[in-house]
Amino acid sequence: MSFFVIAIIVIIFLSLGSAAIGMIRGGQEGSDKMFNSLRFRTALSVFLFVALMFASYMGWIAPNNILPTQ
Amino acid sequence: MSNEKYYVPHGTYWPIIGSVGISTLFVGFANHMHHVGWGWPVMLLGFSIIAFMLFGWIGTVVNESISGTYNKQVDRSFRWGMSWFIFSEVMFFAAFFGALLYARTISVPWLGGADNNVFTPELWEGFKAAWPLINTPGTIGQNGTTFSTGFELVDAWGLPAINTALLLTSGVTITYAHHALRSGHRDALVAWMIATIALGVLFLGFQITEYGHAYHDGLKLTSGIYGSTFYLLTGFHGFHVTVGAIMLTVILYRIQKGHFNADNHFAFEGVAWYWHFVDVVWVGLFIFVYWI
Repeated sequence: MSFFVIAIIVIIFLSLGSAAIGMIRGGQEGSDKMFNSLRFRTALSVFLFVALMFASYMGWIAPNNILPTQ
Repeated sequence: MSNEKYYVPHGTYWPIIGSVGISTLFVGFANHMHHVGWGWPVMLLGFSIIAFMLFGWIGTVVNESISGTYNKQVDRSFRWGMSWFIFSEVMFFAAFFGALLYARTISVPWLGGADNNVFTPELWEGFKAAWPLINTPGTIGQNGTTFSTGFELVDAWGLPAINTALLLTSGVTITYAHHALRSGHRDALVAWMIATIALGVLFLGFQITEYGHAYHDGLKLTSGIYGSTFYLLTGFHGFHVTVGAIMLTVILYRIQKGHFNADNHFAFEGVAWYWHFVDVVWVGLFIFVYWI
């Protein structure tokens, strides 16, 4: 599950990088590339959050909010 | 965009005002650190001078831009300038995420005797590697103990999840604002921008509330490597959300003034990218601090 989450985060960062390249390039083509990359990364981020909620509900992943007692 | 010769800026007094502001700020800060009474007001004066310089300098650049002074070469230089700013921001957060990763996966396990560091358990007898580590080994910390004890942190499905939902929603609203700008729907653009700013401010409000809860429960900046990395990461992120919300407000003002159109809106693009970056950093924080 952790691998799945990290893989999606990497794709989100790559989309953000792709948007930055579009912004630096400029013009109509660059502007389109930027917008589409940002839209994709937004959708993917929302998907990741919902997937995390679902995985937690199903018991596939648990938050690390409790310290082991010593 | 009338000519392709490189635009040479006119003489300006803003850099020297900026220098005076920064010098005043540091003189005030140094004296404040030495408990000198006038240190604090001088710090505020320095900060005010810097804020005045920023508004004045950026205002000058905006006026030059809308008066058509700049050409395509200047446009490219702005875009490359933004790219170096992005690079510095990515490296900034990479350092703090790197510190979190190093502490969790290398230094704390080593202190517990992992790998070949057979001598480390002898340094602090009884130390067991655990995460989150809220007491620095060798110091007296939570509940008067030397090492971490059972300690319930903020529930990942409480305020952190609400804040994640808020920031992700602001990512959606700024995407709609971006689309409205590109398709020339001004009223929708203004509405989505206001929604984005409101969500950012709401996020900051919840973040302050979460800090209050965490501090009340005993999690402080001095609470071991976990407290340090938690507050540094989330604190700097909160600072970036604050700066982002201010920049979005400036862009909203410029939208009202009619500074942008569907084909020419680099300032909006720069701020929108920054907001998406802040959003993604939070997703990373939510995952690596609260989950994995």
